[in-house]
Amino acid sequence: MKQVSNMSDLFERLNDLKVVFRYGQRLIPIIQSIIDFMKETVPLLEDINTSIADSTSKIPKAKDQISNVSSATELATTEILDIADSISTDLDKVDKDLKALLEKEEKKKAVWKGIKNLLGNNPDAAKLTEEFEQLDDSLSVMVNFRNVFEKIKNDVYNITLSLQVQDITSQQLAAVNHLIESVRQRLSSLVMHLDETELNNIELLNVDSNDDGTFNPDAEYTKSMDKQDMADSLVSQSLNKASQDEIDKLFS
Amino acid sequence: MKKVILVADDSPSIRKFVSFALAMKGFEIISAADGMEALEKLPDKQISLVITDLNMPNLDGFELIKSMRSNDQFKDIPIIILSSLAGSQEIQKGMEIGANSYLIKPFDPKRIVYEVSKYLN
Repeated sequence: MKQVSNMSDLFERLNDLKVVFRYGQRLIPIIQSIIDFMKETVPLLEDINTSIADSTSKIPKAKDQISNVSSATELATTEILDIADSISTDLDKVDKDLKALLEKEEKKKAVWKGIKNLLGNNPDAAKLTEEFEQLDDSLSVMVNFRNVFEKIKNDVYNITLSLQVQDITSQQLAAVNHLIESVRQRLSSLVMHLDETELNNIELLNVDSNDDGTFNPDAEYTKSMDKQDMADSLVSQSLNKASQDEIDKLFS
Repeated sequence: MKKVILVADDSPSIRKFVSFALAMKGFEIISAADGMEALEKLPDKQISLVITDLNMPNLDGFELIKSMRSNDQFKDIPIIILSSLAGSQEIQKGMEIGANSYLIKPFDPKRIVYEVSKYLN
């Protein structure tokens, strides 16, 4: 009886084995498709890795180009400011000379009045003096010149005012550079995780990440006085508080 | 004798711009590219007023003001902050550590002349 039981047990085990084999047979195509998928995916991952490494290696160049743009606009702005400074100085000189000329003209006018009185009622002299007065419009021309100079001065002033856009732009560009640098660092660490051997080729981690200088990412070029008004209000509060503190200190 | 103003800003165009506005009013301008350079230049001349940016390399504007206010030689020199930082925190901090005025970039040169005149005339 024991032998029959053993045999039955054996058949049961064999049956189990058969089920496992059958299950295995069904699994083989799935495993095969997984292997096929892996075969296709590995080159794709390598492509992605190479692509990331390639893109990451280009970032320092992009950063350099942005920095170059910033430096070039800085230089150009400084040059324009120098020229504006020179124009203003020249205009000041001309204006000073014109002012002196105008004063002379006023004096000449008084002298001319004296000459006219001396000439009396001579009709020929009256005709000539009238003709002379019509030709002599230097005073009004000089006044016009001064007005034009004043306008040019204001225009130069407004140009210099607008040039502050350079400082704001360069701060915004520095913020973009900082952002690019952050992306580069993330990408290079990703490359490192994917394939450490690639890291030596792209030589990225030694790039100085603090070469952007200092910047305010929220800097904006605006002619609105809202921010200054707010600052004035805070400054005023702060100064009042300080004086109140001083008073309190005096009576403590 | 011309009164001397020290302008600390890492932007050459802003230094030039401030100089442009103040030199026309008869002030002598000394420039510094950061807080450290400003501290080095402070003892060189009889500085009457300091205009400083906040975001600067090496030593920022806050540290420059703190250093000046803790030094007997420079503690009474008026300081005007000229910065694009327009948050209330920065303004309050600037005033608390000892600045006298706070101007926001971009600024009107007439305003800076007015602020300077407030302390120097």
